[in-house]
Amino acid sequence: MKKNFTVALAGNPNCGKTCIFNALTGARQHVGNYPGVTVESKSGSFFLDDIEIRLIDLPGVYSLSSSSPEEDVVFQELTKTDIDLIINVVDSTIPERNLYLTTQLAELHIPLLLAFNMADEANKKGLKFDIPKLEKYFGSTIVQTIGYKKNGVKPLLEALSTALKNLENHGVPMLSYSHDIDDSIAVITQKIDTLRIEKYRHIPARFFAIKLLEHDTAAMRIPEFKPVWNDVETQIRHLMKKHAIQADTFMADRRYAMLSGACHDTISMTRAKRHEISDKIDNIMTNKYLGLPLFFVIIYFTFYFTFTCAAPFMTYIEMLFNGLNQLIKAIWAPEVFPYLRSLLTDGIIGGVGGVLVFLPNILFLFFAIAILEDSGYMSRAAFVMDGIMRKFGLQGRSFVPLILGFGCTVPAIMATRTIESERDRKVTIMVLPLMSCGARLTIYALIIPAFFVLKYQAFMMWIIYLIGVAIALIAALIMKKTLFKGEGEVYLMELPPYRVPTFKSLLFHMWDRGKAYLQKAGTIILVASIILFICNTLPQKKVFSENYDAQIAQFQKSKALQSFQIDALAKNNTIPEGALSEIRKNNTISAAVLKTLKDAELTLDEQAIVNHTLAANAEITKLRNRKKAESMEYTISGKIGHALEPIFRHIGFDWKVTTASLGALAAKEVFVSQLGILYAQGDVDQNSSSLREQLRKHYTQLQGFCIMLFSLLSIPCLATLAIIKREMNSWKWSFIEGAWLLLLAYILTFIVYQCGTFLHIGTTMLS
Amino acid sequence: MGMRKGKCGLGCKCMMAQKRNMTLANLPIGCKATILKVMPQMRGRKKFADVGLVPGTELLMEAHAPFGGLIRVKVLDTSMAMHRDDAQNIVMNDEEDDTKQASDPS
Repeated sequence: MKKNFTVALAGNPNCGKTCIFNALTGARQHVGNYPGVTVESKSGSFFLDDIEIRLIDLPGVYSLSSSSPEEDVVFQELTKTDIDLIINVVDSTIPERNLYLTTQLAELHIPLLLAFNMADEANKKGLKFDIPKLEKYFGSTIVQTIGYKKNGVKPLLEALSTALKNLENHGVPMLSYSHDIDDSIAVITQKIDTLRIEKYRHIPARFFAIKLLEHDTAAMRIPEFKPVWNDVETQIRHLMKKHAIQADTFMADRRYAMLSGACHDTISMTRAKRHEISDKIDNIMTNKYLGLPLFFVIIYFTFYFTFTCAAPFMTYIEMLFNGLNQLIKAIWAPEVFPYLRSLLTDGIIGGVGGVLVFLPNILFLFFAIAILEDSGYMSRAAFVMDGIMRKFGLQGRSFVPLILGFGCTVPAIMATRTIESERDRKVTIMVLPLMSCGARLTIYALIIPAFFVLKYQAFMMWIIYLIGVAIALIAALIMKKTLFKGEGEVYLMELPPYRVPTFKSLLFHMWDRGKAYLQKAGTIILVASIILFICNTLPQKKVFSENYDAQIAQFQKSKALQSFQIDALAKNNTIPEGALSEIRKNNTISAAVLKTLKDAELTLDEQAIVNHTLAANAEITKLRNRKKAESMEYTISGKIGHALEPIFRHIGFDWKVTTASLGALAAKEVFVSQLGILYAQGDVDQNSSSLREQLRKHYTQLQGFCIMLFSLLSIPCLATLAIIKREMNSWKWSFIEGAWLLLLAYILTFIVYQCGTFLHIGTTMLS
Repeated sequence: MGMRKGKCGLGCKCMMAQKRNMTLANLPIGCKATILKVMPQMRGRKKFADVGLVPGTELLMEAHAPFGGLIRVKVLDTSMAMHRDDAQNIVMNDEEDDTKQASDPS
């Protein structure tokens, strides 16, 4: 007997297929109470006794046709690949609609196993099934399963084991479309048989005959069937004359009629209950007047929850990375491999840490969104938002990705897969990066407190987010009117009944998306940190405009104390003994001693001596910073910044902000650390007050605003472009996205800066 | 009263359901009706047919979305959101089945 089998898992959207897949393979695929969670087919393997089974999880579809990308995937997968058995998962609470797909699967004559899922809910609803009768009807074994329960799939495993041992003589479905139609099918079947198409040898000709008779696009697209087209048309004309129904819905009509009869015979319903609560919630949630206000309240709480819960975790992570940085600096002497030391601490830990600080924010947002998705609310949100979104050229389903965009653009772009209309999806992806993502927050958090008084800080933050949303909506509208013109596609979306999400699934769901952000931190940010570090250090400047080293040495020398000065310090016993001996040993007051002396009560004489040292130290720091700044200008970053300054000057950027903004194109988090390096402030984060001081000294309020505007409008990070390439399957769209956003950012910032300068808005220096 | 009452028991509101040439688009909220015919010019007919929007299926109008085109219809025990423009092409049966009326309390 064969040891390897391929089994496909097919079913309607939201019937619990992925749940069954996970239960069988032990894998953890993303399960959501949101139609269209699986768009590509995924596969996993598991062992049953000693047989290896490769299980393919197909996207959820209503029919075996090609009226959506999902259906196309399923059609191709089932007709092209060699599949030993199909497990058809049926939501047994709504058997009539789910069995519609079953009728088509049965016609494939691939051994079929029916899993009547959600058996517990069907039972609660009062549905009774005449299983033997149904089995005979579809020519396949039926088992009842409960996908989310541990033992709920046991009967399925047993049935699968039996079925695989007995693949040769599986049952034949008793599906008949009434006499005259069956006759037409027979005629076409015979014609196809004479064609002897090798490619579809494993699929009965009758399946294709039925598909051709309903003008199914997937079947009509296959060139091998061209010879029978004329016969098909003749048969369709013949049938239409008799039944007066359109050809393409003819078979659908017959199938439902067939099922209606079959269900009448085999399924009885004692009471209708399950949907009652769900329906009552929906009467309020999707109400014409209450729906939108409720939606906004829910979204408000989603963000409130995200930011409140994440705040403490963000502090911890920040502390952790700062601690790590200091630890390494403490044990790694600055003389040993200074470049490597600084690359590791300032470059890598600083860069990656800066990204990871936002992980809690993003994970909590995704957790909140998982609750909305798994409970079933998300499709209601799409329903109530559709009207508004459509006014801007988008649609209800664009809404979820746009909200995710506030967390991280990368998973948000992946979430656009649920948008069926290719045009709407492209427009959504094009404007998505304008939703201000978590990484951009670092820039606002640095700039806003530097240039705006506390009273206006929250307002400014709000304004920035709002500008992003407004521009996104306007851009979408313009794109829809020009580039992506055309009639909208047919819109049909299922609103699944509300369910209480399981905690495990929520966590998994959150992790699934958060992973994308982590991967970005691990790859793009890591590489960007290293590249920027190199750009910031090389080439090294050897000859400076002033002899900084000599000047520094001079100040160092002036710090040295004469013996009478040391005696003067010792005279009054105001200085602790430990500090004194330290001073005696070095003949100077070291930084550590200065710190202890800060709180000591000193006499005027002593204070004068200490002040002299302090003044010398300040001069040394100044000289060092000037030296650093000069060598900075000499590096690759400095040269690029200077070269581009003529272009960026018109939007208010000097060469420092220009290099930082260019670095920010790789990842927004880079901006703050880059600017910190350029202003020779060493380690900085967005809370660094010394860097803010520098900013206030060098830039106006208007320039500060322009920096934020530019980073809001340009691409969030390189990972965004990479994910667009993956989703759209071409670099073309990544390029278009990057280019249009850069252009938009430049033009709008240009307008704002020029108008602001002309009207003298925020152009005075604050300090 | 001599007037036929609507199936959903909403009285006059549902009397609209009795009018001739009624389409799914103007089926009042809370009312049930059966599909009589799907117009041949309807876009995506196949797609709608696949979820059960074929002649003979009973539909319940559940809600209208705010601002614009979407409606929520219960078809074969599942809530489906679709466009009113599309729903205009689905002609509902104007002959109410009086015998069913008594057994339908909602």
